Amino acid sequence: MSELKVVGRSLPQLDGLDKAMGRTRFVSDLELPRMLHGRILRSPLAHARILNIDVSKARALPGVKAVVTHADTPGIKFGPFSADWEILAGEKVRFIGDEVAAVAAVDEDTAEEALDLIRVEYEELPAVFDPREALAEGAPRIHEGSPGNQAAEFKLETGEVDKALAESFFVYQDSYYTNQVYQAYLEPMGALAEVDSSGRLTLHCGTQIPNMMRMTYARALGVEPEMIRVKVPDYGGAFGAKMENNVHLAAAVLAQKAGRPVKVMNTRQEDFMAANPRVAMYMEIKLGVTKDGFLTAKEVKVIGDAGARLVYSQIIVATACYRVDSLYNFKNVRALGRTAYTNTVPTSCFRGFGNSQATFLLESALDMVAAELRMDPAELRLKNDLGANSVSIHGWEIKSNGLRECVRQATNKAGWREKRAQKEPLKGIGLACCNHVSGNRAFAREFDGGAGIVRVGRDGRIVVFHGESDMGQGQKTTFAQIVAERLGVPLSMVKVAPVDTDISPFGFGSFATRGTLMGGNGVLAAAGEAFRQLAEIAADLLEANPDDIRCQEGRFFVQGAPDVALPFKEVAQEATIKRSGAPVVGVGSYHPPTVMPDPKTKYGNVSPAYPFACQIAEVEVDPETGQVTVTRFVAAHDVGRAINPLATEGQIQGGVTQGLGWALMEDMKVQGGRVLNPNFLDYVIPTSLDVPEIEPILVEPVEPNGPYGAKGIGEPALNPAMSAITNAVFNATGIRIRELPISAERIAAELKKRRG
Amino acid sequence: MRFPLSFWVNGQKAELTVKPNHTLLDVLREELGLTGTKKGCGSGKCGSCTVLLDGRPVNSCLILAPQAFGREVETIEGLAKEGPDGDRPHPLQEAFVEHGAVQCGFCTPGMILSAKALLKADPNPGPEEIKTAIAGNLCRCTGYNKIVEAIQSCAGPAGRGGRGEERG
Repeated sequence: MSELKVVGRSLPQLDGLDKAMGRTRFVSDLELPRMLHGRILRSPLAHARILNIDVSKARALPGVKAVVTHADTPGIKFGPFSADWEILAGEKVRFIGDEVAAVAAVDEDTAEEALDLIRVEYEELPAVFDPREALAEGAPRIHEGSPGNQAAEFKLETGEVDKALAESFFVYQDSYYTNQVYQAYLEPMGALAEVDSSGRLTLHCGTQIPNMMRMTYARALGVEPEMIRVKVPDYGGAFGAKMENNVHLAAAVLAQKAGRPVKVMNTRQEDFMAANPRVAMYMEIKLGVTKDGFLTAKEVKVIGDAGARLVYSQIIVATACYRVDSLYNFKNVRALGRTAYTNTVPTSCFRGFGNSQATFLLESALDMVAAELRMDPAELRLKNDLGANSVSIHGWEIKSNGLRECVRQATNKAGWREKRAQKEPLKGIGLACCNHVSGNRAFAREFDGGAGIVRVGRDGRIVVFHGESDMGQGQKTTFAQIVAERLGVPLSMVKVAPVDTDISPFGFGSFATRGTLMGGNGVLAAAGEAFRQLAEIAADLLEANPDDIRCQEGRFFVQGAPDVALPFKEVAQEATIKRSGAPVVGVGSYHPPTVMPDPKTKYGNVSPAYPFACQIAEVEVDPETGQVTVTRFVAAHDVGRAINPLATEGQIQGGVTQGLGWALMEDMKVQGGRVLNPNFLDYVIPTSLDVPEIEPILVEPVEPNGPYGAKGIGEPALNPAMSAITNAVFNATGIRIRELPISAERIAAELKKRRG
Repeated sequence: MRFPLSFWVNGQKAELTVKPNHTLLDVLREELGLTGTKKGCGSGKCGSCTVLLDGRPVNSCLILAPQAFGREVETIEGLAKEGPDGDRPHPLQEAFVEHGAVQCGFCTPGMILSAKALLKADPNPGPEEIKTAIAGNLCRCTGYNKIVEAIQSCAGPAGRGGRGEERG
């Protein structure tokens, strides 16, 4: 692999300069002739019966071209994995922000004015806001089909947990809570919808899952998927949130009704109210160890808050119950996960997908175990390391495993041993590890994998088509690097097409840290096929055997005779001429060695590769205010191989910063179902002044199932950050943080109490 | 009801009529098609809509359009310099790309304009001055480390920011 030319190089994003020059057209920048602006009327009540909606005044307002309510929709109940959504509320509203009606008008001001003219009569119903209360007897019923408000249950037991706990030297037992946080991408959600004369809908939409979204929306609109086309322009971040959302469907229904293109963008406030923030979780853990620090058993109970309908929260709760079991050598585990409806905003994916919450729980618990055993927390992790070429308790086949190397390099760089040994008052250093997946078969269901199309035109231009999604992480550049490497051309010859479901392969999308591995393997296979076709043409021209044809720096030659070479463009031109104008098109796909887990035991290899990480935070705690400042952060990540180290570092620094925000400041304050801080003044995310130097370390054991050895990085970049920080707070103060975000007030009170 | 507005945008005079409730951001994006200025929150809290008003960074979503009367506005589209082979990007634009300071890119235009104003006021800032200057520009992708590095690379006598200023 030492002769890699393009893969492994730190390269700027292909479209970075367009972005820096303000030339990139984001979703909110798009305009079409005769385009209307849409707005959504949202419920002001958490739970109420809709008695009547009067839209007559709104319809009569000059400039209004369409007003739609439930009666204008097909009225089909749908959902990504459930049937508890309506495009616009029918009989009931179930959270403050629930979509009730929508308006399209010639400009935003008119649409806004029309919203004020819609009269809705509600009969308010008792509501419930806490998932534990929602599951209690006598709680108000939110969905008719779900008595008891339990949306889903996940159960798992492997080994003999009770026996193992009883025989343990020490059992740590406690309860934890992780709060609701907002993804806070800089461009709010929205879509531009247009309908052609055959009734076919095109959605221009920033989405992580263009193909899956299309299937869901086809069900919602009561049409076949081929009646919907999803095109993905550049968009301003997602971090898990930009999947199915009614804002897109409101645009679609308005465009159908108005017969004109309609753009609907959430305001920032609406985005806080209705864009599917992270699943809050109440978690209990029992964690047993031997005297020597070997893990004996783990039991967790999780209650997750789905909000008013299921997006992906039930799978997120399931993930919180068991993914982290494959981080260490567990033998006995039990989990019970319950997902409860409440009258609050529907919750869903946010970088980490339940494994963030579970990693905070387990890595905090391990820190307490280490303290009890008077053992170095780093050593405790290493004792329980699974190692490479291992099979975890749930049948996960771990090929490369850089955990040990991550711990070694992170502790060395951070000066871990010295700092733990020479502790200064109110200063602390903490460590946490994590594992993750690169693709999740349990989520994808039908199949998992990736596919690509590589088109080489007469002019030698190479265009890559894929079905995943670049939300800003630099996926286009990564795919271009993989294709350039495989074809033997400079990166400048490769372009990556925007995803368009009419043209692109059916990709599952960008989630589960799967883009680089799945999509990357897909475009790699496609490039291989394109190369095969080009090599045949070059072999004819060079009078050689196709198997002996090589290409380097855009020149074809016969192996061993690089002096006689043909430019790439010439071979591409010859190919097109010989085929009466047909371009060279390589189609390829990747089928990962994964299985659907057993429904009962959950046993089965869900991902072709598993990334690992070790992060170390240093903090200072103010004795008077309790304020925690992170002063330094080291993050070592097993990425298999970094296709683009610059982009990989950027993922790590960004992920850590989101974890830091969650640990120290981010909190959606919800009272009576109302988000009290739906703006960036009251909901604070880290600014440049809050973030220390974040030092990434790339550990590259080369993953056999990865494209050029690569695994994913997106989610593990965040997962351990919260517990690395709270473990550092424990080291600084002896105070164990069991609720996110860290409360400075509580730390200050505790420190004061101790001072007497 | 629309009001006449005359101001300078990227060195060119713009004369148009605007709705009285419209912000400078609305006018730039909707009337002048300068969509490089982004709308992230509409209430002055994210910095995505930062432009330079008479050389100083402002949230254009908080400026009512008539307030710009007779004044000079610079947007991200105004930074590149025309050249024989097309537009030459500003050194800050190049530095952001090269240092990996651009991920989704939605905050980038505002961030670059804040950085430009800083380098004009203080051609040789340290990391703390840089962090303070961009504290009103939220970025959710990068964790700011590479943004600070990119701006730092343009600072000082050897920095490319100086060369950029020479070019005007």
